Amino acid sequence: MQSMGFLSDLIAGVGEGRRAEIIRTQKGLFNTHPYMVSYIVGATVRAYDEGHASAEEIRKFVNVAQTSFASAGDLLFWRTLRPALLLLAVILGVNYGIVGPLSFLIIYNVFHLFHRMRGIYDGYNRGWDVIYVLKMRRFKFIRETFEALGALLSGLLFSLAGVNVQYLLVIPLTALFMIMLTRRYSAVLIIISFLLLVFIIGLV
Amino acid sequence: MNAVLLSLLGAVIILDKYALGEFGFSQPIITGTIIGAIFGDLWFGIFLGAMMQLIFLGGLPIGRDIPPDGQAAGILAAGSYFLLRGGNALGHSLFLAVVFGLTGGIIGGVLEVYTRRFNERLYNRFIHHEECLYICHTTGLATAFIRGLCLFLPLFVVSTLITVPGIFPQISQDTLMIIGVSIGLANSFYLFIKVKTVIYLLIGGICGLALAVF
Repeated sequence: MQSMGFLSDLIAGVGEGRRAEIIRTQKGLFNTHPYMVSYIVGATVRAYDEGHASAEEIRKFVNVAQTSFASAGDLLFWRTLRPALLLLAVILGVNYGIVGPLSFLIIYNVFHLFHRMRGIYDGYNRGWDVIYVLKMRRFKFIRETFEALGALLSGLLFSLAGVNVQYLLVIPLTALFMIMLTRRYSAVLIIISFLLLVFIIGLV
Repeated sequence: MNAVLLSLLGAVIILDKYALGEFGFSQPIITGTIIGAIFGDLWFGIFLGAMMQLIFLGGLPIGRDIPPDGQAAGILAAGSYFLLRGGNALGHSLFLAVVFGLTGGIIGGVLEVYTRRFNERLYNRFIHHEECLYICHTTGLATAFIRGLCLFLPLFVVSTLITVPGIFPQISQDTLMIIGVSIGLANSFYLFIKVKTVIYLLIGGICGLALAVF
């Protein structure tokens, strides 16, 4: 679906007048991080507007850019920013109700919408040099900040358990799930183990 | 709200996962809040959503990996709990809601593979019929909606109709909290703990203990 979405974006950016040319030259597999697409769209639209580059050169740029932005976006959003903010939402939600989910929606969307809008701007202004945006300090700073926040919230998550004796069960269960995760057991197997655990506790 | 309306709502929300925007509305903590508010028990909706969120916190769609569908699991767990609660004891409802949610998460992951294959066929169709760009694109969105509907409707209908016998297993809110926090801790350690972040974990842990005690 991203391939067709990318083509639709390009047509919207370059203009319906060049629809046939874009579809003919740019149809190919396109897959990158959804929040980072705008950087590539901006740079590609600029390449079409300037008209200096051949379709083959634009295609090569798109191929290189989609891989670079995919790995950067996965690391920044899927692996760091989103889980950290979701942890925050869980802790606030269980303790203070609606504040948790609302805080996630607001902070998360501010960050991702900023990237989507800034991506078009940076992509169009920098052209093919947009890939170097990934080396900018703001990406590293955001990632490191949210990694620290995630670690801090991991510690705070324990506060949900309270100080009841039965909550000591959290320690061996956490160790069990940690072993499964570090040994890279499949997510399905971990969920089945969770289900079995719920079933056994349910029977007891 | 009945099973059909809840399924339609769920299918619309699940579009947020890949098809429309990805604003985070489909995350279990948000869907739990929405469904809880609809059924008039906001806090329990948030609680169930939070537990599902912790379970699926580490399931990351990185690269070509397709993890189990945590978003669908959140909708199914919260929706089926409130539907089951009408005619069953709370412990039984909670047990079945968790089972439905997690099973639905696994089935959702499988359905997603088939949806992606179908979308690839749509793309191939577009390659051979260039004039079909917008039709193929819209059909892709429709497929994502239908996937959600196929996943939610059967389990929500079962949740509406089923009456669980007394000998059936049940779990309490506290038990779910213990297991949820355990897997949440494991997931968050796995994601965030490195040599340079250990200090933040310790600070968080001390603050967490202080909050728990006082």
